[in-house]
Formats: sequence, structure tokens, C-alpha cells
Amino acid sequence: MSGRSGRADIISTVEFNHTGELLATGDKGGRVVIFQREQESKNQVHRRGEYNVYSTFQSHEPEFDYLKSLEIEEKINKIRWLPQQNAAYFLLSTNDKTVKLWKVSERDKRPEGYNLKDEEGRLRDPATITTLRVPVLRPMDLMVEATPRRVFANAHTYHINSISVNSDYETYMSADDLRINLWNFEITNQSFNIVDIKPANMEELTEVITAAEFHPHHCNSFVYSSSKGTIRLCDMRASALCDRHSKFFEEPEDPSNRSFFSEIISSISDVKFSHSGRYIMTRDYLTVKVWDLNMENRPIETYQVHDYLRSKLCSLYENDCIFDKFECVWNGSDSVIMTGSYNNFFRMFDRNTKRDVTLEASRENSKPRAILKPRKVCVGGKRRKDEISVDSLDFSKKILHTAWHPSENIIAVAATNNLYIFQDKVN
Amino acid sequence: MEFKLEAHRIVSISLGKIYNSRVQRGGIKLHKNLLVSLVLRSARQVYLSDPCPSLYLAGPAGSRGAAGVGGGPAGGPAPGSSPLKKPRRNSEEQPGGAAAAEEEMETGNVANLISIFGSSFSGLLRKSPGGGREEAEGEESGPEAAEPGQICCDKPVLRDINPWSTAIVAF
Repeated sequence: MSGRSGRADIISTVEFNHTGELLATGDKGGRVVIFQREQESKNQVHRRGEYNVYSTFQSHEPEFDYLKSLEIEEKINKIRWLPQQNAAYFLLSTNDKTVKLWKVSERDKRPEGYNLKDEEGRLRDPATITTLRVPVLRPMDLMVEATPRRVFANAHTYHINSISVNSDYETYMSADDLRINLWNFEITNQSFNIVDIKPANMEELTEVITAAEFHPHHCNSFVYSSSKGTIRLCDMRASALCDRHSKFFEEPEDPSNRSFFSEIISSISDVKFSHSGRYIMTRDYLTVKVWDLNMENRPIETYQVHDYLRSKLCSLYENDCIFDKFECVWNGSDSVIMTGSYNNFFRMFDRNTKRDVTLEASRENSKPRAILKPRKVCVGGKRRKDEISVDSLDFSKKILHTAWHPSENIIAVAATNNLYIFQDKVN
Repeated sequence: MEFKLEAHRIVSISLGKIYNSRVQRGGIKLHKNLLVSLVLRSARQVYLSDPCPSLYLAGPAGSRGAAGVGGGPAGGPAPGSSPLKKPRRNSEEQPGGAAAAEEEMETGNVANLISIFGSSFSGLLRKSPGGGREEAEGEESGPEAAEPGQICCDKPVLRDINPWSTAIVAF
């Protein structure tokens, strides 16, 4: 699957729905593209369901805030699906300022045989109508239409970085740099502010909110991560404004690793609950960490994503790569975690066997049904034949967004403006 | 000495990023600017606490910030930046130019940036040292005190910081 060249096609978010039947992508140009998995047919057993384009629509347009003289980007920051409750599909998509609820539904019949208008919709001359008939529904070519059902606007002064649907399916939250708001899906002109870390004096600002997510089962709990590398678990039953956390997760800093850039690389770019709800995973610039909700003083697991970049931080600061926000995902059983890196590499860590693998999403290496070959980065000394040296890595090819099917071993990897879908080998 | 050069370079790069963020589409990104200001603060502390005599570094500060993808030295002085002593005469002219540039920059969005990031940033742009610069930095005595020495506002040292003016004039 490829896009046209040009910056508007850069994929900015990827998300499977709750069954894995649909896969949504959002891009920098404000478009959403939804893929649907083919139904597996008995005739072609060897062809596991492939994903084809199901619907494409323009979710957000660029806007201009006249009061502040600011342009508001149309880039889709996040997409989150609602669980399916009827024939239609619902998803939330957000840019920096506005969240929208979209309904995606199929139309495969249309009414024919109107009395007052003809088949092209033109009005008939009433004098020519001599009989009365009842319109009937006739099959038509399948049409998928997306309609915006709700627009949740004007609630965020700063840039929205996260949205998360609550397990009650009635509410969701949106988080920006300093505040988190709680919404009811039915109400667009009000939201409740549940976290506010804006200091009275902005000169005292020391940290911002970087990501937030609801607990998968407990509708009163959510977590949010900060630019200081900390995570807070909040309970909405405790008070209306959850500025006081129930739990505070922070790992003491390793003083031997201190540099000018220590603060930047400890900023958390993504936080995700495990499906079980028992763990949280965080991504900072160089590592992925798994935390047990019952242990606040340090993570239970730390995985090095690309530690060879530690000595290159100054260059990465110069070219802005150090500000890249990588996401991380769990597989369906919470046994494997995955995150992206540079050079179109992405990494998977098996939590049980402690084995890890580096794979590459590129056209040259990905013919259909080819098996991905593990990659290796050479960190010094002699470079073996298949290895890539750190200095040859292409930092413009970054994998920030990945998604894992909720129950099967199917992953979606966004490499700039290309989407790769990999499936487990069929035996 | 190396630390001072490296710190100076990082300060120049950081100022450039903050300046560029003003013209970026989508408005000033609070998170990124906060991180840049933290780096700026660390680099400035290292720069000021390094006991080397103050330097007059040749060349426009911006040129060393050239960003190669993944390339460039991770540490140490940039190539070709051997420290030169500028004639005293130039340093007299510089403040005039710097003042004009600063006045230009003080209006509009940079004032917003200053109010957002407070005294630790405005101290860099204010030409005359002292005043409210150091005592307002209560936040600096936090974790960053791990860096060598809390900086005392030493007027002679600050007055000699022409590389700062150089960095500002470059933008």
C-alpha cells in the first residue's frame, strides 16, 4: 500500500478496531483511510484475509484562529474506535484542537419507484401521475459513507496529544499539554476538566502532559504521562479534579547517564495499558518500560530500543530527531511489545523469552508473502555482512506509529507515507 | 574548554529552535519549547561555570548548527572553530548591533516566549547583566544543581559574554 509523494500523505496514526476487522489510518493532510479485512473464503484457504481500502474521508481541514493569529494543523493526531454496537462503525479522530465522532456505515440498497420524482430525482409533472405505488428497496453497489456525528471543539487551549474511550462507552477523555477533559459522547458543548497542571505563573512551568489513557476495565481510572518521565494513575471517584494522583510512577535517574539531553530523552512519548489492565508500558526516546501498577518506584522491565543512539544525542538534537515521539503497542496476549525506530526498523520484545528482534519495513525487503529477515545494527568494531552501521542509518525514515491486531498476529506499521501490514506465516 | 565550546554551540542551536518555532505551522509547541529551554538552561550553566577565560569565537554562531541527518560530531568543538580573539573594536560595535536586534526581537511573539519561559530565557536577551536575572531563577536550584556550581551573577563575566550577542544577532 503506498501513498502519493508529498508531506500530506505522511501517516500520523494507525489503529485497529476492537475486532481487528477494520484498520484506520490518519495522515498529515487530515484524511482518514479505513481498511477492511477480507472475509476468508473456503476456496482460497491459503489466502488469509487481506486488508483492502474500505472508506476514505477528509476528517479535518486546516483552520485559522484569528484571535491568536495561529494556523491550526489538520494533521490527525489520534484515532480511537468505539466498540461496535450496531451495523455502523464509530470512531473518534482528533487534530490539535478538535475531536470529531465519525459514523461509518454501509449502504447497499436504495429506494426506487417514487411517485413524485423520476429515477434521476427530477420532479414529475403531477398531471402525468395516474397511479400510486409504494417505493421498494432495490440492491445497489455497496457504498460506504462517513458522516461526522459530533464535533467536540473549543475545549483545548494547548495541543491535543491523546484521546481515550472509557470502558463505560459513554465517555471519553482528551488530553493536551496541560489539561485533560472528560466528555460525554452525546454532549458537545460541555466537557469536564479532570486534570489541570497549568501553573498560576507560566514561568514556573516544568512539565507537560504527554499522553493519557483510560484503564481498560475500570471506568474510574486513567493514567497520564509527563515530559519528566513520570506516570500518574488517577481515580475519578476521589475528586472532581484529579490533580492529586492515586499512584505516582517514577524511576530514579541514573546519574552516570546525565547529559545536556537527559531531560529530553526521559520524556515519555506514549503510555499504554496492557489488555489485562495490570501493567502499563511507556516509551521514552531510547527505551520501552513495563510497569506493574502495584509497584511505583521502578519499572519491572526495561528494554533498550536503540541504545547505540546514546552517544549521538547532540546530533539528534540538532536535526530534531530527539523530539520524535515513538509509540508502543502490546500484542493481544500482552506477551510481546513492539515499537518503532529509525531506518524503517521496528522492534519486538518477547516478555517471556526475553528475546527481541529488529525488522525492517521497506519495499525492497517486502514482497508479498516473503518472510521478514531480522536486521542487526552494528555498534562498533567489525561490521558483519548483513549488519548496518549506526552511521548508515537513515534518520528520515522513522517508524513512529504501529498497531497490533487485538487477537491475531497481524501488525500494521506506518513508514512515513506507506503502510505495511504483516501477518504471521500460515503453516 | 571543550565543555564551553560545546555548551555555546548547544545554546546557539537551542536559540535557533526557539526562534524557528515562532514561524512554524500550527503555533508554538509548548512541549518542544519546554524541552529546548531545559537544554538551554543546562548548557548555559555549564558555559558560565567553566572556569576558562571568556572567548571570542569566530564566525556566525548559526553556521555550526548545520544539521546533517545522523551525522556530525556528537561532542567536541565543531570543525574549523578555533577560538580567535576578536579585536576589542569589534566588541564595541557588536553591542550596538545586538541591541538593535534585541529590540526587534523583544516585540511580538518573543515577548510571549519570554513570559512563558521566564527569567531564565529573558536573561539571555537582556543585554545588561544583573537586575532580576539570577534571583528569579528559583527553579534552577532544583535538580539542575547537580551541574557544577550554582552560578553567581558575576558582572564582569557576564559583560564579556559577547558570544551571546553573536548568537542573537545571527537570528
